Amino acid sequence: MHTSEFIYQVIKNQALETELRWIDQKSTSDLKGLSLAFVMCPRFISKSVISHSDSIFPGWSFQSWSLDRLVRVYFLSLMAEKSDDELAYIHQMNLLFDTAEMNEAVALYSAMPVLAYGEQWVLRATDAVRSNIGPVFDAIAFGNPYPAIHFSELAWNQLVLKCIFNDKPIHLIFGLMERNNAPLVQTLSDFAHERWAAGRRVPSQVWRLSSPFLTESLLTDIDYLLSHEDPKDILAGTLVLQESDFPGTQALKEKYGIKASAQTSWAPLETAEPIY
Amino acid sequence: MCQNPHQQNLNPSHFEGSEEEKITASEVEHGFLPHIQGMKFFDPHMHMSSRTTDDYQALADAGVVALIEPAFWLGQPRTGLASFQDYFASLVGWERFRSSQFGIKHYCTIGLNSREANHEALAEQVMEILPLFLQKEGVVGVGEIGFDDQTAAEEKYYRAQLELAKEMGLPVQVHTPHRDKKKGTERSMAIALEHGLAPNMVIIDHNNEETCKSVLDQGFYAAFTIYPFTKMGNERMVEIVKQYGPTRIMVNSAADWGISDPLALPKTAALMKIKGIDEETIRQVTYQNALDAFAQSGQIQESDFIHGLEIDQSLKFNGNTVLRGGQAPRINKNSLIIR
Repeated sequence: MHTSEFIYQVIKNQALETELRWIDQKSTSDLKGLSLAFVMCPRFISKSVISHSDSIFPGWSFQSWSLDRLVRVYFLSLMAEKSDDELAYIHQMNLLFDTAEMNEAVALYSAMPVLAYGEQWVLRATDAVRSNIGPVFDAIAFGNPYPAIHFSELAWNQLVLKCIFNDKPIHLIFGLMERNNAPLVQTLSDFAHERWAAGRRVPSQVWRLSSPFLTESLLTDIDYLLSHEDPKDILAGTLVLQESDFPGTQALKEKYGIKASAQTSWAPLETAEPIY
Repeated sequence: MCQNPHQQNLNPSHFEGSEEEKITASEVEHGFLPHIQGMKFFDPHMHMSSRTTDDYQALADAGVVALIEPAFWLGQPRTGLASFQDYFASLVGWERFRSSQFGIKHYCTIGLNSREANHEALAEQVMEILPLFLQKEGVVGVGEIGFDDQTAAEEKYYRAQLELAKEMGLPVQVHTPHRDKKKGTERSMAIALEHGLAPNMVIIDHNNEETCKSVLDQGFYAAFTIYPFTKMGNERMVEIVKQYGPTRIMVNSAADWGISDPLALPKTAALMKIKGIDEETIRQVTYQNALDAFAQSGQIQESDFIHGLEIDQSLKFNGNTVLRGGQAPRINKNSLIIR
């Protein structure tokens, strides 16, 4: 099944008959007509919230999207299927990116996994990571497999760090543990030291990234977590020690009386933890 | 837009005021907020890109729940199409988001302003990208357009944009000139009628005592800008509302990069209250009429902001509000300590 057909079925379950008629009428347009329909969507499509949770690719979810956002992504998927003329397609897509208002930008970044010429959009995607507009950042960071597939290690690490910096929950990033790497963990440790020096903290769940890459110096961070009174930090420190097979963990386990456990879960820490 | 402190000396009669007004002024000097408790305001003309977060905070505290930012001249001419495009994109993007962080619903009008209409080569290019922006969500009109020096080029692009507004069914926000205002206002209205626009789709802005009657008599909306030195003062505004009543009259601040007052609307409401104008009249000229005029675009839902800015579903994720990026947590401005 084409991506567009899959999306259409989800829309069909949710849209009113008048909305579907408008969508059907627009979907036969050429690239220019489709991008105009993309812009006009909110004039004809409601913002009812999508409850559908199946997905066509791993990591891509429509959950909690508004209907007009999904219809916009549908039009973009149709454009991708009419992209034989690469130059014309890229020109039209760049125009949409360059003139996007906030909700259009959200739809564009949400649709990245289905855009044609996937590599072409990496710079756009890293711009979204730089965005200070919450919903735009979220559109690329959460429920979106594009970064995990296309980002370089440097770009990936910026995505995760920016997420932590903005106190957003990192477990929503698709591919978090698969793309995890030692330089990211080292930068995370430096960042935590800065926050601690300022009398602030980092969300506890970010320490999950350190489990596979513990070093002697990171152990002092874990020691710091366990020696303070915040129950969330203590749980995070405990989980890291239980998950890691780094030899140096033994002394800390003994110091804090932590036993090995077959099952560890970060779920209790998977929340947004605003520092303010 | 355009402040000129020197004009104060040329035209002192409006600012002398009566003894009673001086007493009122000193009363309100110590806080106008108690006079407008529970009131909500819609300011249909504010250039927020030129303002600070302190202003947004003060607006929210004073009860401003929604505003319209018209596209305008940035104080110096732009030299290329890209800077127009980025400016329009920021009105529907970054500025809209920034405003939402303070719980204020942000709409805009998009247009080629009169000053820059005089650079015809660039104006032609701007006209080409206007339709794309005018179709965007939350764009509630074509504006601010009209006359400045009243040149042939200004007239050409005013007319072309009236046609665009008619074609797209959008209201028009008309800037009237500082110099030769009365003739410029009459000319702006005559041209709008000539192009077949319904007068109730046209908001004539920056009115004063001299232009008001004709604008209302011909069925247009009359907007008044409370702006120190160059436009209306709010004591004069009170007199106008007493004389003409509330129908099709709206007040705005046109706060921008000049010496202007973003709180002009709530302050004027307070002054109206103190001077005995009934609350329903105040509500119409500081909220309802602007809402009615620009809602004709089909782009304004009062329910989006009347009970405070409800966080849009698209701004939520898994029930968490994730507005952190760029979010300004409330700070105590009087505190010496900054954390």
